[in-house]
Amino acid sequence: MSFYLRRVAFYLVTLWAAISLNFLLPRLLPGDPAAIMLGKLRRASGGRPLSEETIQAITSILGAGKDMSMWDQYLAYWGRLLQGDLGVSSTRYPATVSDLIAAALPWTITLVGVATVISFMLGIVVGAWVGWRRGTKLDHLVPVTTVFQSIPYFWLALVLVAVFSVQLGWFPIVGGYDVFEFPAGPELSWAFIGSAVYHAILPATTIVISSVGGWLLGMRNMMVSTMSEDYVVTAEAKGLTPRRVRTKYASRNAAIPSLAGFGIALGFVVAGSIVMEQVFSYPGIGKLMIQAVQGLDYALMQGVFLVITLTVLAANFFMDLIYGFIDPRVRHNG
Amino acid sequence: MTRTKRSFAVALAAGAAAIALGMTGCAPSAGGGSGDSAVLRVWAGSATPINNNFNPFAVDTAVHATFGAIYEPLFFFNQLSADEPMGLIGDSYEYSEDGRTLTVTIKPDLKWNDGEALTAADVAFTFGYGSNKSEQFVSAEAPDDTTVVLTYTEPQFTSASLTLGSTYIIPEHIWADIDDFMAETNPEPVGSGPYKLKSFSDAAYTVEANDEFRDGAPAVEEVQYVGLDSNQSSQDLLTTGKIDWVGQFIANPDAVTGKGNITTMNQQQDPTTITTCANADLGCEGPQTDPAVRQAINVAIDRATIADKAFAGLAGESSPSFTLQPRDEQWLGDPELATSPQTADAAEAGAILEAAGYTKDADGFYGKGGTAFEIDLFSPDGWTDYNDAAKLISEQAAEAGIRINARTVSDAEYWTPIQNGDFQMALYGLTQSLVADPYSNYHEYFAGTSTAKVGEMPLVGQNYSRYTNPIVDAAVLAAGSTQDVAAKQEAYSAIQTEIARDLPYIPVVLNASQSFFNTEKFSGWPTEDDLYAAPLPYLAVANAVVLAHLTPAK
Repeated sequence: MSFYLRRVAFYLVTLWAAISLNFLLPRLLPGDPAAIMLGKLRRASGGRPLSEETIQAITSILGAGKDMSMWDQYLAYWGRLLQGDLGVSSTRYPATVSDLIAAALPWTITLVGVATVISFMLGIVVGAWVGWRRGTKLDHLVPVTTVFQSIPYFWLALVLVAVFSVQLGWFPIVGGYDVFEFPAGPELSWAFIGSAVYHAILPATTIVISSVGGWLLGMRNMMVSTMSEDYVVTAEAKGLTPRRVRTKYASRNAAIPSLAGFGIALGFVVAGSIVMEQVFSYPGIGKLMIQAVQGLDYALMQGVFLVITLTVLAANFFMDLIYGFIDPRVRHNG
Repeated sequence: MTRTKRSFAVALAAGAAAIALGMTGCAPSAGGGSGDSAVLRVWAGSATPINNNFNPFAVDTAVHATFGAIYEPLFFFNQLSADEPMGLIGDSYEYSEDGRTLTVTIKPDLKWNDGEALTAADVAFTFGYGSNKSEQFVSAEAPDDTTVVLTYTEPQFTSASLTLGSTYIIPEHIWADIDDFMAETNPEPVGSGPYKLKSFSDAAYTVEANDEFRDGAPAVEEVQYVGLDSNQSSQDLLTTGKIDWVGQFIANPDAVTGKGNITTMNQQQDPTTITTCANADLGCEGPQTDPAVRQAINVAIDRATIADKAFAGLAGESSPSFTLQPRDEQWLGDPELATSPQTADAAEAGAILEAAGYTKDADGFYGKGGTAFEIDLFSPDGWTDYNDAAKLISEQAAEAGIRINARTVSDAEYWTPIQNGDFQMALYGLTQSLVADPYSNYHEYFAGTSTAKVGEMPLVGQNYSRYTNPIVDAAVLAAGSTQDVAAKQEAYSAIQTEIARDLPYIPVVLNASQSFFNTEKFSGWPTEDDLYAAPLPYLAVANAVVLAHLTPAK
C-alpha cells in the first residue's frame, strides 16, 4: 500500500513543479508579443495609421499583467487553471486555447497513439521471433530496421510524400481528411472516417518505420539473454514444445523491460508528432505548438505544454502502477 | 501471447480494410456534388487551423476572402499600373479645391448579399465607424441614395488609395448593433462582393457566387480556400492538379509549369533594404549612424550577385529614389537614381571612408583610431533568401574592408528590436506604395512624424531607421497638400536627393512575388499584356477582381 501512496505523492509534487515551470518558461523568452502583433498589423494595413483604440486593444490582450508582480500573475494563473480556463490565443484571436486544443487533440492521439501501439507490437513480436532464431538470416532484420530508425524523421516523411503522393498519387499530400470532399469539415459518416483513415496511413507508416527498430532490437537482445536463463533451460529439458517455451517462458519475461519503455513512448505521443504534423499539414497538437512558439502566443503555448506534461505524467503513472503489478520486485525496491 | 497475436491480426485486417476503403475514397470523384470543375481551389495562405474570422477590421487575422471577395472598398487601385482606379461600389469621386471635402458618387441599385439595398447611407456609416475614423475625420453625410460627402480637417489628396481603395464598406443594418469591432469575428459576413460564404471548417472554407452581385453572379461558381502549412505541400498540390491558384516562392518554377497547364507570373515591387538605425540624435548607436559608412556599404555590395544567388535570379533592381520604375516614371527627379549600382566597387567604398577620416587596421578593415569597427546585421532565421543575402553582404563588405557580422534571430527577436530601435542593421522588407505615387513610401518610412526615439515604437508610420531630415519633412508636407503635378514633382525630387545621399535604408533588391495558376481549368487570368490586376491570391481586392474575370474551361 505504501508503495502506491509514495507514487501518488511523488506524482503530485511533479505535477505542481511542471505546472509552475509551464508558467515561468514563456516569460523567460525574449520578445514582446504585443510588439510583434503591432508590427505585423502595421505592415498588413498598408500604411493606414493604427488608431489609438486598436493599439490599446492589442496591448491589453497581449501585454496583460505587465503591471502585476510575478507572484500575482502566478496566483491568477492557478486560479484560471483550476476553473479550466486556459485563456485566449493571440495568434488565433479570439479563439480560446481550450477550443483549439480540443479540436487538435483527437487527431494526434488517434494517429500517433495507434501508430505507437502498432510499432510497439510489431517490434515485440518480430523481435521475439528474431531473438528465438538468433544467428540465422533473420538477424539481418536488426541492422535494416535500425538504419530506418536513424534516418532523420522529417526526411523520411518528405521522401514518402514525394514518392507515394506526388509521383505515384496513391496517397493524399496534406490534411487529416479530404478537404475537397468534405468542405464543411468533419462529419459523422463512413465516408468521412474512411477518408480520415486513408489520410492517416502515410503519416502512421512514417512513425512505424522510424520507431519499430528500437523495439525490435531491445526485444531481440532481451530474448537472447532470457533464453540462457535457468528456467528456460529447465523448460526445454522438461520437453515442452518449443512454441510453448518461446511464448510462455521466454517472450513473456523478455518483454518486461520494453513495457517500461512503452510507457514513456505513450507519454510522448502528444509531443512526439511535431515534425510529422508539419510535413503532412496534419491538424494535430504538434502543429499548434510550433505556431504558438513562432507567434509568441503565451496562452496557447502554455496550454499545449500543459497537455503534453499531463499526458507524460499520466502515462508514466499508469505504467508505474501496471509495472508494480506485473513485476513484484519494484514494489519492494521502490 | 496468443492474445497479442490476435489483436495484431485484427490491426492488420483493419489496416487492409482502411487501405481498401481509402482507395475507393480517392478514386476520381464520381460526380460528387462538390467535385465538379466549377470549383476553384486556392491556397488560403494561412496555416491550419484557419481562424474563423471575417471581420474586415481585423486586417491581420481575418481570412483572405474577407477582403475583396466578400467586402469591397469603393474603388480598386491597380498597383501594377498608373491607370485611373476602377469603380466597384463607387462610380466617381471628386476632391474640393482645398482637398478637405471628398464627394463620392456610388452606383445605383446595389444590394448586399442578404438582399437588402446598399445605399450611400451605408457608405457614410462605414466611414464614421470604428478604426475608419481617422484623426482628421470630421463627418460623412449622405445627401441622397448615391452621394456621399466626406469632410476632413486636413487635405486628403494623398490618402485616396486608403480612403477609397482600402476602406471596406459594411452594411449599417448589421454593424450598427456591433460595439466592439475588434473582438467581433463576424462568422456570417454580409458584404457586397462577388462571393458569399458557403461553408467553413478549420481546414478549408468555401465561398459561392453572390446572385445579388451588381454585375451578375461571377462565372466561377465556387472558390475553396485551403489551409496549408508548408510551401512544399502547396507546390505538390499544384503539380498534381489539386489546387489551382497559389502565390508563393518557388525557386525553380519550371518544375511546376513544365506540363503546360500551370502558368506563372513574377512581379517585383516591394524593396528589401538594409534598414539601419541611422539617427544618433534619437538614440541610435554604432558605426552605421555615420552617413559615410552607409554610403560605403551602398557601393561595396554586389547587388547582381545577391539577386542571383540569394533570390534565385527572381528579384528586381531597386531604386534609391524608392519609386517603382517604370510605373512611377513621372515622379523620378534625377534619372541617375533609377537604380542602385548593381556591381561592387570596393575602391570607391574605401575612398568614401578615407575621406571621412577612417583608416585601415593591420587586417585591412576600416576603423578610427586603429581599431576596426564592426556592424551587426540581422535577419529572421528560416527566411533563407534573407539569410543568404545577409551572408553575401557580409562577404562583399569584407572585400571593401568593412566588417559586417551577419546573424540570424528568431521571429520574436526580429520584430521587437526593429520597432523599438535597439539594432544596428537589419534586412527588412518595405511595402511599395499601392498607387503610382511614392507619397506613402516617403511619409511612412522617411518622415520625422513617423518615427520615435530609440526604446519607443513609432505611433504612426514605420520609420524604423529613425531618419529625420527637415528638408524631407517639409517636402512631404508640401506634396501632401497639393494636387499640382509640377509642385509634387519638385517636392519628390528634393526628397529623393536627400534620401539617396543619406541612405537610412540601403536598397538591396525588389522582392519577387510569384503567382501560379491553372490556365487549363480556368481562363481569363491576367497576362503580361493585360495586367488588369496582380494575380496574387492573397492580395486584397486584386484577388477578387481576378476571380470576377475568370471563366471555367469547358
